[in-house]
Amino acid sequence: MSEQQLFKVTIDNITIEVPAGTTVLQAARSIGGDVAPPAMCFYSKLEGSGGKCRTCLVEVSKGSEKDPRPMPKLVASCRTTVMDGMEVKNITSPKVKDARAGVVEFLLLNHPLDCPICDQAGECHLQDLGYEHGKEGTRYEFQRRTFKKYDLGQYIQLHMTRCILCYRCVFTADQLTEKREHGVLDRGDHAQIATFIEKNLHNDFIGNVIDVCPVGALTDKTFRFKNRVWFLKPLDAHRDCPTCSGRVTLWNRGDEVFRVTARKDEWGEIEDTPDGKTGWICNTCRFEKKKTSDWMIEGPRNVNRHSVISQGHYVGLQKPQETIEKVLDGRQPKLLMDIHNISDVNKPSVELSAINGAATSSVFNK
Amino acid sequence: MGVKLLLEKAHIPGIRTYEVYRREGGYRSVEKALQSMTPEAIVEEVKKSGLRGRGGAGFPAGMKWSFIAKPEGVPRHLVCNADESEPGTFKDRYLMEFLPHLLIEGLIVASFALGSNNTYIYIRGEYAWIVDILETAINEAKANGWLGENILNSGFDCNIHVQRGAGAYICGEETALIESLEGKRGNPRIKPPFPAIKGLWQRPTVVNNVETLAAVVPIINIGGDEYAKIGVGRSTGTKLISACGNINKPGVYEIDMTVSVEEFIYSDEYCGGIANGKRLKACIPGGSSVPILPANLLLKTAKGETRYMNYESLSDGGFATGSMMGSGGFIILDEDQCIVKNTYTLARFYRHESCGQCSPCREGTGWMEKLLLRLEKGEGKMSDIDLLWDIQRKIEGNTICPLGDAAAWPVAAAIRHFRDEFEWHVTHAQEAQTRNFGLAHYADPIHVPVTA
Repeated sequence: MSEQQLFKVTIDNITIEVPAGTTVLQAARSIGGDVAPPAMCFYSKLEGSGGKCRTCLVEVSKGSEKDPRPMPKLVASCRTTVMDGMEVKNITSPKVKDARAGVVEFLLLNHPLDCPICDQAGECHLQDLGYEHGKEGTRYEFQRRTFKKYDLGQYIQLHMTRCILCYRCVFTADQLTEKREHGVLDRGDHAQIATFIEKNLHNDFIGNVIDVCPVGALTDKTFRFKNRVWFLKPLDAHRDCPTCSGRVTLWNRGDEVFRVTARKDEWGEIEDTPDGKTGWICNTCRFEKKKTSDWMIEGPRNVNRHSVISQGHYVGLQKPQETIEKVLDGRQPKLLMDIHNISDVNKPSVELSAINGAATSSVFNK
Repeated sequence: MGVKLLLEKAHIPGIRTYEVYRREGGYRSVEKALQSMTPEAIVEEVKKSGLRGRGGAGFPAGMKWSFIAKPEGVPRHLVCNADESEPGTFKDRYLMEFLPHLLIEGLIVASFALGSNNTYIYIRGEYAWIVDILETAINEAKANGWLGENILNSGFDCNIHVQRGAGAYICGEETALIESLEGKRGNPRIKPPFPAIKGLWQRPTVVNNVETLAAVVPIINIGGDEYAKIGVGRSTGTKLISACGNINKPGVYEIDMTVSVEEFIYSDEYCGGIANGKRLKACIPGGSSVPILPANLLLKTAKGETRYMNYESLSDGGFATGSMMGSGGFIILDEDQCIVKNTYTLARFYRHESCGQCSPCREGTGWMEKLLLRLEKGEGKMSDIDLLWDIQRKIEGNTICPLGDAAAWPVAAAIRHFRDEFEWHVTHAQEAQTRNFGLAHYADPIHVPVTA
């Protein structure tokens, strides 16, 4: 084929042209905004993902120009390819809204809602989904399912209780690493992500399962309980890495690097590198390079301004002029008391990112 | 006495062995098909017969066969679905146990029609002893030249492999079955692509039920037109019904689909009436996942017509007042049975068997089970009934595979037809622990409005 065939598709009364083979979800994302259905399990960089969470259900009110019959059921937009002349209803369909509210309720049914102590809070897709499409309360009155926490190797912790079984990590491990060592055991609401033999995952790229996890089920042990993401400053940075592209986002507080992740786009998916490959990063970059001096910082990362991460990050801000010098006729203000001389709280010499685990009083009482 | 096509010779001693089966006219259809018919002609014959899939959905088998893609140089496969796990259904077990050669005969003909050189029987793990029966039969057939290379000098090669499942209901769903056959976790695939295009090992595949494939034998022997004359309307041929529950004569019966439901339950030829002189309360006519019907709607349709044991009549009235033929698992409940408990038992089954892949089914089935248990224990609330209705509504149609629907339908139908029994479990919670609701008005004749 010399020319790529373009299909006309109408989503929520907005008509666009997309190449044949595009999924409805990708077409809707190219329009953007509220038209894009939420997706918890679909990940465009992972082959075979999607279709499981059912949050991206849409109504197809007209199949195509050739066959205008509507589809009988709601379809998963992430796994349905567009046809020429297809008409899709997302937020304009009451059926879709109803079904989606149902799916959100189902997903939250066994979720512990421990956001206040969850490291994913602030960048959790389930939080966003619940906020945008869910109801304020649940009708579930039974005990929620719980699992023990497991360490998957020295860097990753698995907290199955929070898992929504999107299978993204399974696909990641399967497609990125040579030997898949973890998968889903058991079935139904007691299904769990687990390692097959021992709780160890040895692979240079296994850390990426943390980035693809839409919830806080897989967390970075070097970052657990260190900080809330919205207190951190995301910075684009790179280093010359022999294993991966080395293009990352650093999450700093002051000059301390608290966390390193891959660069994610507005849909929470890992961005492509300039040479068109997916920007997965290796474990060394992610877990072991936690000094600013390890990295070449490119500049602040733009995170969607609706995200809680962007709170307090203002672009083009005009700061009011400091007037104290003027009032004091050019003299500098004098420090009357250094709080660290009086109190031992928050010793400035303690590097929070370097301590093992959460910062408690024992860290400062040494 | 109705027509019998499949189980006609089931009572003959030694029919399980090749010698007796051959002596009784076995493998005639293979001779006819391989020596005098083209694969297209066989598909055409099956289309003409109007044979519908016997696994539950009732999709026309000939049509399914004609959908199979035929790309150059890519092997095609026929897979026999013997993962019969629907509670109440045991017709395939009977067929395979007593007439293994009938299935193999049907498989050879169907494999020839579809061009499958390697055909698989995926059998549920619990049917361990039947695997031996089938493998013995396959070896006998091979020794006598019905399987292997160049069968009957037709140039057609065919081998049949038996694969045991590991005990999962979901592996009866065709794409989950294919995944399991490939050695993976039995999660249903997202369709499209359908197995006819990309099935087993990404090759075109047809998955058919045991009974469907066995029915190919009489179709070839007597011809599609003759087969279509048996039965009524679009329900052609004969159907195996596995009757169980509170009846005098549980077992597998072959019917020609012109029998009324009343005759089937009460005549001595079939179920022989309700056991212990009790009265009929309700029936699940097609395996556990089809909607349950109260006695009055079971014997007569909402229009007051007699209901027959066939695809159309059983589904007359849609889900509001009808049910489905399903896989033919006919479960009878007498007046001493508690619908709430029965529904809970089914919900527990579906919760246990949900693969956990998509969220409505994974979470919803567990929720329904917990609510039903609470109602059954007399700790429920009135709002639980409405909540159950809302949950099943949100599962149905929103899942990857039909297991979600199968879990939702029994709950929906039980609430639709037996709501007062559910309410009684809430209002008379103490009493509900000591006695059953009984027959109540479920067998009363239905008022049929007369239109001018």
